[in-house]
Amino acid sequence: MDVVKGYEKEFNQLVETYEKNTHDKSLLNPSIANIIVSGNKVVGLNNTPGFRISSKTRGDGFVIIDVNIEDNTKMLMPVHLCTGFLEKKGEQLLKFNYNIGENVKVKFKSHCILTNVEKLHHYMTSDMYIGKNSHVEYEDEHFHDEKGGVFVETLTYAKLDENSYFKTKFYETKTRVGRINVLLDLDLGNYAKADLESKIYGQKDDIIDIKEIMRLNGKHSSGIAKSTVFATDATKAHVINEAYGNAAYAKGHIECNEIVKGHDMSVSTVPVLKVQNEKAELTHEASVGRIKQDQIEILMSKGLAEDEATALIVNGLLS
Amino acid sequence: MLALEDIRYSKNSNDIVKGVSMKFERGGVFGIIGNNGVGKSTIGYIIMGLSEYKPTSGRIILSGEDITNLDVTNRAKKGISLLWQEPARFEGLSIKDYLTLNKKIDIKSVEEALDMVNLEPKLYLNRLVDKKLSGGERKKVELASCMLLKPKYIVLDEPDSGIDIMSLDMIVKIIHYFQDNNTGVILITHRKEIAKECEYSYLLCNGKIFLEGKSDKIIKYYEKTCDSCGHINYAEEK
Repeated sequence: MDVVKGYEKEFNQLVETYEKNTHDKSLLNPSIANIIVSGNKVVGLNNTPGFRISSKTRGDGFVIIDVNIEDNTKMLMPVHLCTGFLEKKGEQLLKFNYNIGENVKVKFKSHCILTNVEKLHHYMTSDMYIGKNSHVEYEDEHFHDEKGGVFVETLTYAKLDENSYFKTKFYETKTRVGRINVLLDLDLGNYAKADLESKIYGQKDDIIDIKEIMRLNGKHSSGIAKSTVFATDATKAHVINEAYGNAAYAKGHIECNEIVKGHDMSVSTVPVLKVQNEKAELTHEASVGRIKQDQIEILMSKGLAEDEATALIVNGLLS
Repeated sequence: MLALEDIRYSKNSNDIVKGVSMKFERGGVFGIIGNNGVGKSTIGYIIMGLSEYKPTSGRIILSGEDITNLDVTNRAKKGISLLWQEPARFEGLSIKDYLTLNKKIDIKSVEEALDMVNLEPKLYLNRLVDKKLSGGERKKVELASCMLLKPKYIVLDEPDSGIDIMSLDMIVKIIHYFQDNNTGVILITHRKEIAKECEYSYLLCNGKIFLEGKSDKIIKYYEKTCDSCGHINYAEEK
């Protein structure tokens, strides 16, 4: 692991916060590729055979991070992308460029640790190219400050080449959200597959915007996009799922479940399905409302109190 | 004893249950029989105390105590349980966790219960109680859950629905398992292969008890008259 000179303290502080939040002690394992960003500075990174990560800070304050994975690289351990912010106020601007070769297998575990800030704008945009026959998983988990002063924007644009597979999981379920804006925009080639999942738990006056777009441009491409939002208190949540069936035998399914609790929240969902090829097939499911009474009462019939039953159902949905 | 005293229940100005009185004893198997739509499941839900099924009038008495106003949780704590006809699904909850919601239940008992409902524990313990289970599998998990609760009274609402015909013997075995453990079984069914396990039955027609007595007599009448009648208003007209 290369730790940038003069930033050892910040590096250690982030590693410690990461381990506390995730209970994962593997971050410093030398066989694991990773990058650790504090504020607008890369403070540590580790490369492994076939995997190259590099960074530079642009004049406008953006940290540009290039991730290149050679053809036929099979990453046995997940790649850790750890971003944190240790100041009280400010802006974190990140731009990731992923170039993933052919026949690659890789799993990224991204953690945004923004737990001790008063006011922060975290902006992260990612451009990803996934080569032919590659299998890519991307898990993104966020931990935000409990006072709600974090505003996260995470925008991902991915192009999936022939017969590639991309699975994403975006979770913000363990801490306050603050304000969040998630965009996932995928362009799928022939026989490419995508599986998108996002789960967010809104509390107090959190604001949640999710937009997931699947452009099924290749024949036999397919994708599922599923969003789950649990909105409590005065949370405002708006989810848009879009699927475009532009090629023969393209198949897409979008699903949005918004569960509400409280009287001041406001939630909405908009599914958009557009077919431009007669052999394409798109479906959607959406539900907005409180937890189903039969779910609560079946657990109550096992002796659980109503609040315990509700918590169990919500934890299961967001797990 | 668990007793329903002159229970009435209306919904949207429709009288669904019209003055029903029933008695159930621990260790006995009691049938509530009748065609679709006569109010059998409604009576089951009223016994369990579901929020949408509060009786309009009448009382429910458990061992001398009026439990009419108790909610589901408190009725469960007093030993009443219900096997839902179509049990709800839960995302992110494993079968093992679902069957051990009551922390006192040990894993060995869970495995035994799964075995009894013909689900191989190794294959099922870590599966989720979600949409990926078939209707029959979900029903069997629910049967196992009800067994593990060791209730004083269990309402089995159409226990065979959604389960393959090969599993009918298993259902019968479970009914007797409850009986052997001194549970009072309240069996809601319109299937004679299951109803024949009852000692005493109530034949329902249009929200009323039309006939009650020893089960063989009730089943004979049901087969001869109601089966072909398919007429839920017969009692009213009579």
